[in-house]
Amino acid sequence: MAKILVVDDEEHIRLLYSEELTEVGYEVITAADGYELTERIDKEKPDIVILDIKMIDYNGLDLLQDIRNKFYNLPVILCTAYDTFKEDIKSIAADFYVIKSFDLTELKKKIAMALEATIP
Amino acid sequence: MFEHEVNPDNLKKATFVVAIPSYNEADSIAFPVQQADQGIQSFFGDRESVIINCDNNSDDGTKEIFLSIKTNTPKIYISTEPGVKGKGRNFRNLFKKIVDLEAEAVVVVDADLKSITPKWIKHLGEPLFQDFGYVAPLYVRHKYDGTITNSIAYPLTRSLYGRRVRQPIGGDFGFCGKLAKIYLESDTWSEAIANFGIDIWMTTLAMNENIPICQAFMGRPKIHRAKDPGSDLGPMFRQVVGTIFNMMIKFYPFWSNVKWSKPTSIFGFGLGETEMPPPVKVNKETLFTKFQNGFNTCSHIWEKILQKETVNKLQEVRKINKDQFDFPTNLWINVLIDFTVAYRDKLWVEDELLDSLIPIYLGKTLSYVKKTERMSIRDSEELIEEECLQFEATKKLLMKHWNGE
Repeated sequence: MAKILVVDDEEHIRLLYSEELTEVGYEVITAADGYELTERIDKEKPDIVILDIKMIDYNGLDLLQDIRNKFYNLPVILCTAYDTFKEDIKSIAADFYVIKSFDLTELKKKIAMALEATIP
Repeated sequence: MFEHEVNPDNLKKATFVVAIPSYNEADSIAFPVQQADQGIQSFFGDRESVIINCDNNSDDGTKEIFLSIKTNTPKIYISTEPGVKGKGRNFRNLFKKIVDLEAEAVVVVDADLKSITPKWIKHLGEPLFQDFGYVAPLYVRHKYDGTITNSIAYPLTRSLYGRRVRQPIGGDFGFCGKLAKIYLESDTWSEAIANFGIDIWMTTLAMNENIPICQAFMGRPKIHRAKDPGSDLGPMFRQVVGTIFNMMIKFYPFWSNVKWSKPTSIFGFGLGETEMPPPVKVNKETLFTKFQNGFNTCSHIWEKILQKETVNKLQEVRKINKDQFDFPTNLWINVLIDFTVAYRDKLWVEDELLDSLIPIYLGKTLSYVKKTERMSIRDSEELIEEECLQFEATKKLLMKHWNGE
C-alpha cells in the first residue's frame, strides 16, 4: 500500500484527501504546514507527497526545492487553487500539478502515474 | 605552424574547467571568455581553475584572440588537426584534457553566446561540487527557438529515458570529471557524435549511466545566433536525430524499462526578474512549401518505411490549406516511431532516411507555430508538456513496433 503525505494548511482539504485516498487503498498521513518537512519525510518515508503551494507561513515551491534536493526521486504533486504558480519556473521540479477541486479524479490519476513512473 | 595545444602557464592540474568549443568564432569568443573568467574569480576563486578553448583549428584568428584576452584565470588552447572539423571532435580533445588535468568539474559554454553572465558559470558549476554529475541549462527561450529540441529531442529523451531535461541539446552545461572518462571510453562514438550529435549524446549517456542530473536556471535567455526553423537544417538535423536513433538501439535494455518520467532538481534561483528572449522570425510560407514538397521528393521513402495508416494520415494533412494547417501530435509520434524502427532495421540508406523526416518535421513545426502564435512562452511550454505526456502514453506502441509485434 502506497503511503501519501498530504501537506496542506486547510483542514477540510486534509480531511477530504485523507478520506478519498484511503478509500481507494492508499495510506494517508497529513501535515498542516511545512515545518521540518524534509525531516518528517525522512522519518515517515512516504511514497509520494501532495503539496499545497500557498500555505500561510510556507511557500510550497520553496518546500518543493528542499524536497527535491534531498529526495531526488520522491514524487511530488503540487496542489493549488491558483493557476498563476505556473509562471514560477520552480514548479517544474514537481512531477505534476493539479488544480484543487472536490472532484479528485485528476489527482488520483496523477498519483497513479507518479507512483508508476520507473527509471531503472 | 600548427600547434595542437598552447598552454602558456604549463598547467598540469586543475579542479575546475570552463570550456568553450569553437570554429571560426574570432568575432564572438572574447565575451564568453571574459564572463567565464569573472565567474571563476567570483565563485570558484579558491579552486585551481582553467579556461580551455577547444577549437577546430579556426582560420579566422580565434586562437590568437582567445590567447590575447587578459584573464586572471589561466588559459589553454587545444585544437583538432588541420582540416579536422566537428564540435564533437573538439569535445573529444576536451575529455582527454580533463582526464589529464584530473578535473572534478567542467562547465561548457557556447562561443557565440551574447547573454552569458558570471552567474551562469556559478549555476552550471556549483551543483557539480554537490551531489550532481550532470547539469543541463534551463533558460527561457523564445517559443520558436530550438524547434528540434521542442519537437524531437526533449519529448523523445524524456519519454525514452524517463528524466525531464528541457534542454538536452542546450550547448551550455556542466559535467563531472568522472563523466569525461565515461565519455572517452564509450563504444558508441560515431561520425554524427563527432559533429552536432555531441550534445544529445552526452545528455543521453549521463541519463543511461544514472548520473544525478539537475537543471540550472540561467535567469537570462540564451541569446546567440538563433535560426529560423524553416531555414536549411542539413547535416545538423541528421546528426542530432541520427544520434538519438542510434542511442535508442544501443540503450534499448534501459529505456524499455522506463515508465512515464520524473523531474530533476532545479538549481539557481534568486536571480531576480527573468528576462524575456528576443523574438525569432519564422517563415510560415517556407515551412508549408517544404512540407508540401516533401511529398514529391520523399513519398517513395515514406511508403516504404511508414505504416500504411500513417501514410494515409499524412496525405490527409497534405490536403489542409495553409491557413487551417494542423499536424496532429499523435501522427507526429507515429511518424517518429516508424522512423526509429526503419532506421534500426536499415530499411533505407541512413542519410536519405533522416533527410526524408525533415519535411514532416517542418509540417509539425508549422502546426506548432500556428497553435502558439497568440500564446505566451509559458502557455506554449504547457503545450509542449502536454505533447510530452502523449509521447509517454504512446510508449507502449513504440515497444510493440520495436519488438515487431
